[in-house]
Formats: sequence, C-alpha cells, structure tokens
Amino acid sequence: MRAVDGVSFDVKRGEVLCIVGESGCGKTTTGKALLRLVDTTEGDIFFEIPEEEYRRYETMRSRGGPERAAQTDAIRRKYSFSWKEQLAWDTRQILTVLGAFAAAFILGLGLPALAAGLFRAALVNSAFLLAASLLCGLLIGMAGSLPPTRISARTPGMLGLLAILAVNLFPLLAAKEFPTSLPTASADLFGVWSAVWGPGFFGMLAGIVLAPAAAGGASKILLGRRRETEGLQAIKMRTLRRRLHLIFQDPYESLNPKQSVFEIVSEPLVVNRIAHDPEEIAALVGQSLEDAGLRPAEEFVLRFPHELSGGQRQRVSIAAALALQPDFIVADEPVSMLDVSIRTEILQLMMELREKRGLTYLFITHDLSLAWILADRIAVMYLGKIVEQGTAEEVISHPKHPYTQALISVVPSPDPRHLAKRTILKGERPDAVNIPGGCRFHPRCPVAFENCGWSADEVAEELKSLSTAGVLPGIAQMEAQNPWTVALAVVPGTTPEAFIETFRHVVKEHRDSRRALKAIAGVRARGGYVYVKLHQGSEPRLVELEPGNTVACHLVTAPAEAPHALPA
Amino acid sequence: MLLEVKDLVIEYTTQSGTVHAVDGVSFNLDEGEALGLAGESGCGKTTTALALMRLLPYNGRIVSGSILFRGRDLVKVSDTRIRKIRWKDISIIFQGAMNSLNPVRNIGQQIAEPIVLHEAVEEQEAMRRVGELLELVGINRERMRDYPHEFSGGMRQRVMIAMALACNPKLVIADEPVTALDVMIQAQILELLERLRKELHLSMILISHDLSVMAETCEKVAIMYGGKMMEIGTTVDVFTDAKHPYTQGLVAAFPDIRGPRTMPASIPGDVPSLINPPTGCVFHPRCKFAFDRCTTAEPALAEVTPGRQAACFLYPEVPEVVLRTETVAAR
Repeated sequence: MRAVDGVSFDVKRGEVLCIVGESGCGKTTTGKALLRLVDTTEGDIFFEIPEEEYRRYETMRSRGGPERAAQTDAIRRKYSFSWKEQLAWDTRQILTVLGAFAAAFILGLGLPALAAGLFRAALVNSAFLLAASLLCGLLIGMAGSLPPTRISARTPGMLGLLAILAVNLFPLLAAKEFPTSLPTASADLFGVWSAVWGPGFFGMLAGIVLAPAAAGGASKILLGRRRETEGLQAIKMRTLRRRLHLIFQDPYESLNPKQSVFEIVSEPLVVNRIAHDPEEIAALVGQSLEDAGLRPAEEFVLRFPHELSGGQRQRVSIAAALALQPDFIVADEPVSMLDVSIRTEILQLMMELREKRGLTYLFITHDLSLAWILADRIAVMYLGKIVEQGTAEEVISHPKHPYTQALISVVPSPDPRHLAKRTILKGERPDAVNIPGGCRFHPRCPVAFENCGWSADEVAEELKSLSTAGVLPGIAQMEAQNPWTVALAVVPGTTPEAFIETFRHVVKEHRDSRRALKAIAGVRARGGYVYVKLHQGSEPRLVELEPGNTVACHLVTAPAEAPHALPA
Repeated sequence: MLLEVKDLVIEYTTQSGTVHAVDGVSFNLDEGEALGLAGESGCGKTTTALALMRLLPYNGRIVSGSILFRGRDLVKVSDTRIRKIRWKDISIIFQGAMNSLNPVRNIGQQIAEPIVLHEAVEEQEAMRRVGELLELVGINRERMRDYPHEFSGGMRQRVMIAMALACNPKLVIADEPVTALDVMIQAQILELLERLRKELHLSMILISHDLSVMAETCEKVAIMYGGKMMEIGTTVDVFTDAKHPYTQGLVAAFPDIRGPRTMPASIPGDVPSLINPPTGCVFHPRCKFAFDRCTTAEPALAEVTPGRQAACFLYPEVPEVVLRTETVAAR
C-alpha cells in the first residue's frame, strides 16, 4: 500500500505549513516520516539544508548523469535523514577490519597472556589466564559486532578502555587467585603486579599502547563506514530528534496516566541527557510548563493527567515538546479534540511560541478553516498525493483543484446567512490499496472529463446502472475487454446498429450527470458485438502556476501552456 | 408542541460528590422543528438528551422538572411505558456512533431489533423494512448482512441513522452525529439528516459542540453552559446577534474560512466543575462583563427580545432565579 506517493514540499524556517486532507490521505504518515517515526521507502527528507545547496541539488537532479548523481548523493548524504546507500564491502576494507580486530586481540590479550605464561609459567595458571583473556576478547569482539545503531562516537574510547582493563586487570586478578604460587610472598597488590609484569615489561607496554589503538582503529573503520552508508540516519538522528518534535492529536490518550506532569515533561530531558542535575531538570520543566501557559508551574508538576482538563493536557503535551527546545514541530491535529473555546488559546500559544522561539510548524489538520488562519502555506493532500499547494491566500481564496474547491465549499460557516453553494462529493475516498488509475480523484470529481483516467470497468459499471434503470435498453451482456474497451452483446431482436443509435443518444444526454460516460471516445459494431472505445487517461502532473503554487489537475495548465484567447 | 422540557434538574452521585449536571433547563420543540443544543463538553448536553429517553446511567437521577412529550410527562411515566416510547417515539443517534454498533452482529439484525421489539411483525417483514431504511440512508440493501467492520466511519454513521429511524419516531436526538468524521463525510451526513427530516417530517435535537454544524441544519439553537441554559433563539438571530456573553464568545471562537485571516477570539478559563459550581451566574468567572450581581444572584432564562431568551443580568428585564423545590424523583 502506498500511503504517501511522491509528495514534495519544503518548509522554511519560521514558517507554518498546513497539510490538509481527509482522514487516510496520508497526512499523518507524512508528518511521522518527517520525524523518522515511519521509514520512507523512497525519497529524501532534507533538514537544515542551505538554500543554495538545495538549489544545486535540484538542478543537478534535473540534469541527471552519473557524475551528477555522485554529487547529489554527496548532498543527500550530508542533509537527508532518510539517506540509505548500499555500498559493497570491498576486499581491502574487509581485510583491514579483520586485521584490526586480530591485532587488537593479539596485542591486547594474547601478548600479555603469552608474556605472563612464558616468563611466569609457575607463577600463575596459564590456562586460567588464557581463558580470562579469551573472555575479554569475546567482549571486545561483541562490542565490535554490536548492531549498527549501537555504534556511536563513543565506541572507540570504550573499546580502548576495555583493552587497557584487559591488559592490566586480568593478569592481576589471575595472580590474586593463586597467591600461594607467588615466588616473592609480597601480599600487597603492587607487589603482585610487579611480580607478574616485571619481566614481561615490554610486552605489557606494547599491549597497553597498541591494544587501544588497534581496537579504536577497528571501530573507527566501522564507524566511518556507517557514516558513508547511512548518512545522517543513525548518528545524527538521535541529536536531531531533540530538534524535531511532535504534538499528538488526542491529549486524552497521548499522556501516560501513570506519570505525573513532572515526569511527562522531564522524560525527554532525561532520555536525551540534556540535564542531569535534579534542580536543573526542575527549572527546565518549570520553564516549559510556564511557556506552555500552565502558570504557576508548581501547581501542576505533581498532578496526573486525569486531574487536568483537556486544554491543560494539551498544554502539557506542548510543554513536553518544548522541553527540548526544538526547532521544528509537527503538530498532528493538536486541537481537534478540544472544545472551541479552548482551541483558540492553544493555537494562540503555539503561534506565540513561534514568535518567541522561532519555531517552525508542520500543522496537520482536516479543518480548512484552521489552516486558513494559521498557515503561511497550505498543501492539500488526496490519497497520498499533494493535489494543490500554495500560499493560504492562494489555496483558500482561489482554489484551482476541484477537490480543494469541494473541500472549501463544505466547510461550515458560523454565519448562517452565508449559505454558500456546497459541492458535496459522492462516496468516500477509495482505499489506498486500490488507487484509481489516471487522476486518483476522478471517480469523485464533479468536473472529471475525457482523459482523467476512466477505466473500462468504471464505464461498464455506469452503463450497467443505466441499463438497470431502464434508460439504456438492449444490453444482454457486457464486459471490459481491456482497460480501454468495453464489449457489449446486444439482446436478440435489436441490431447493433440500432443499439448504437440509442446508445449515442443516451450517452449524450447523460454524460454531464454521469461523468464516466465522458470517457467514451467512440462506439462501433463488429461481428455482432458492439465495442465502446475509451479515451486514454493519464495522471495529471504537478503544474507550477507561479513559484510555490502547484496544482495537479488536467483542467489546470501552466501559464506558458495556456491556450491564448482568440482575439474578438 | 411536541416536546416541552421544564426546569429539568439532573444530578449524578459520584465518589467526589454530587454533580449538578443539568440545573433548571427548559426548552420547547415544535413538530418538524430542529433544535440545536450547543455548548462545551461537560455542560450537560448529553445528559439532557439521555434524560429525554430516561436513559441516565445508574448514578444519575432526575431531581425535578418535567419533560412533556405530546402532553405526557416522561419523568413520571412508568418504566414499562417509557420502554414503549423509547425508540418508537423518540430515538437517539449516539455519540461516537461508529463505535456503538455491535461488532459481532450484522447490521441488518441490529437495525431490525427495535422493529421486532416494538412492532409485532414477522422477521421477514422486519428485514424488508431494514432494506428500505438502508436505501433511505444511501446504503445498498445488499449490504444488510455485512458486519460493522466492513463499513467506513461515514457508512456506520448512516447505519446508526437507519437504526434511529427504524420505528418511524417523532423525535430523533442526534448526539454529536458528525464529530470525528471528515469534513466531506460530515457534509454528506448533515445533508442526509436534513433531507430525512424534511421527507419524514421529523423533529430533531442536534447536539454538538460545533456551532457551525448547527448553522446549516437547525432552525433554533439553545446554548448550554455549566448545566444551565444560557440562550435560546432562532439560529440566524443567535449567530448574528448573540445576547449572552457566552454565546458571543462561542460564536467568536469559530474560525471563518470566508472571513478575514484573524485568530478567533477565545473564552479564557476552563469549564467549571459541576460538583462545586460557581455561585451566582455559572459563567461569571469567565465572563468579561461580570459585575457584582453576577457573583451573588443567578440570572433566570427570560425573554430579552421577541423570540429570544437569555440568562444574563446585562439585560435589565432578566429576573433572578428563585429557589426551586424538589418535586419528583425518577431515574
């Protein structure tokens, strides 16, 4: 199922973009994909990409070519957080990594163990030493083979530390295990240490210095590879998550009922290791709560969600999102569950915070009137595609796409005197598993015409309903022969020619109310059957009317392509 | 007059105290008329609706007041009697209707249930009626044997409407019929309700927190707040020239897509607790016009201009509420 299909938009810093559409059109999926809460199958999500880099990327991509692809990939690697690249491991790399691991193992563990074993065979049980060293080697090996998400910038240091510990501690522990076998019966630890390591000094030194270096080197190669293969994804995503945040739709379900307000708001701080000091955490929580309009904060921190009203809960959600000082917030229907009287307060709060903290919002809503008030720009989605995008003014006051027009017409007006003419679309949106061909809106579109992508099945369906209604008599059997032809068998007693006559007449009469009939390009009789030929449909491209204002509809043509009006 | 609700008082007994959910609510409904009952959540809209059908939960009771339905007081009638009236004369489209259907029975059975219960008809006859009802609400009658999960939200809402119409009721209560539906489906459902109301000459009480839904469907609106009636009037009047400060706030809180791009006004504060409602006018803590009298005395709902009632001391003709005496008690 394609929940979101080829959606492109950009949000500038400090801007509010509203994504509008019916439920199931892919709004929420889009929002979640931006935070990488849903993985994208294809495409890129650029974050904080400088304008000129983006333009370079766009021009490069439009031109194509292998070396251009390499350049776009470089940009994608740097800014896209859905970037994934499948690089083949070449032999050299594999050997280097294996070699580094072997070196780390030998230098860090094998060598000291060998030294201790060789020079102090009687001193310690060499079998035990070897076992301990092997265990240690296993640990390092495990650390090296951790799943990719676990490898971070800290990994080399950790491995180095482990190696040092292994070199020094294990022989020591081993010697402590068997104190009776010590030649000099010095009991203190330093005595044991020097007794074990004295003769093997060089081995020890080499171990101490080289083991961490080798271990670090190995993990560095791994780390570097990760950077190459997955870009921003794993390494930066964690830090990025602090800067991107989500406000959920339902304040009654998005807050954990077992957590107090303090816990809810402080959790992101703790998880992201922003603050450790309890006082600092308390101060930050207090600040976020007050910013979210819960004043005084002390009164709220110890309450549980059930002790709060709906508006207050949503404020807690906002406070939790704010605690990390994010730059970008995806607000998924943040007020749809709230009473109108409280709604405005929450919206005002969100807009105030935008001023105060320079926030950027992606606002997901099904309510066009909210979008009208909040958005700088609006993107209207239908079945996983953006059908129209532009400034709020452009989209609401001069909608171009029939879907946008219909959506706007049904928004109830609080003023009963302004009863606008409503265009109520028939039916419901089709299932995203079964997306109609051509323009995906055509089955519901009130102005669909010839090449909007009608299929033979749809036309056959329409003819069948005409036939059952008694308007079009004479059809015995009907089937869609291929996507652009419907084959009809005429009842005995009627000639195909006579049928075609009535057929033409009926179609002409009904083609405005039953839009599928518009797709009929021609009808002819052959071999006792009647074949209805259809117009070829196509999916409308997104046409840019003016910079930033795009529409995907066959009825809308780009200004340059628009046919010139005939002189009077 | 089809329905006449007078001084209705409803309380819920809860662990934390008595909730004065509905306190002295009065309104009338003519035959064929649609009344919108609006207000924020927790203001007693749904409680009022449930009381009309005597469907209050176990901890709720009608303390006093009367509900005259075609001259009969529903507060006083016996349980057997109310059971005959329920769904036959008054039916309800429940809130969150999509989830009020029984998932393990097909919708045909569910719609047929009240028909079989109320009218001594054969199962076959009942099923024929179900088919008609489904066509009436725009569902193919062949889908009768389908289960609720096979329908979309809007379709399930249509099923609920068909169910409410099963016994040709005089009055249909629609409790938030379009909340949680998409705008387009909302428009479809509202259009359907409007069409049915005209075709079947139904009276309707439409409950919603969304005033704009009522603007297009109801002739009259009643605004409730904190269990009390704040204002009643014709829709056009109330929306264009609200008398009560609360109504003014509600109307102003709506963003208008056909208006300028300004942030709608809000009503500061929260809905009061109905366990300890504020003294005097229940709205005074959030009212920007509140003065001394509002904190001590409670305004009664009174006619301020012809055909318009409001409960606010801003209008000198509004009297104070005199203490009500408890008269009847029923569940």
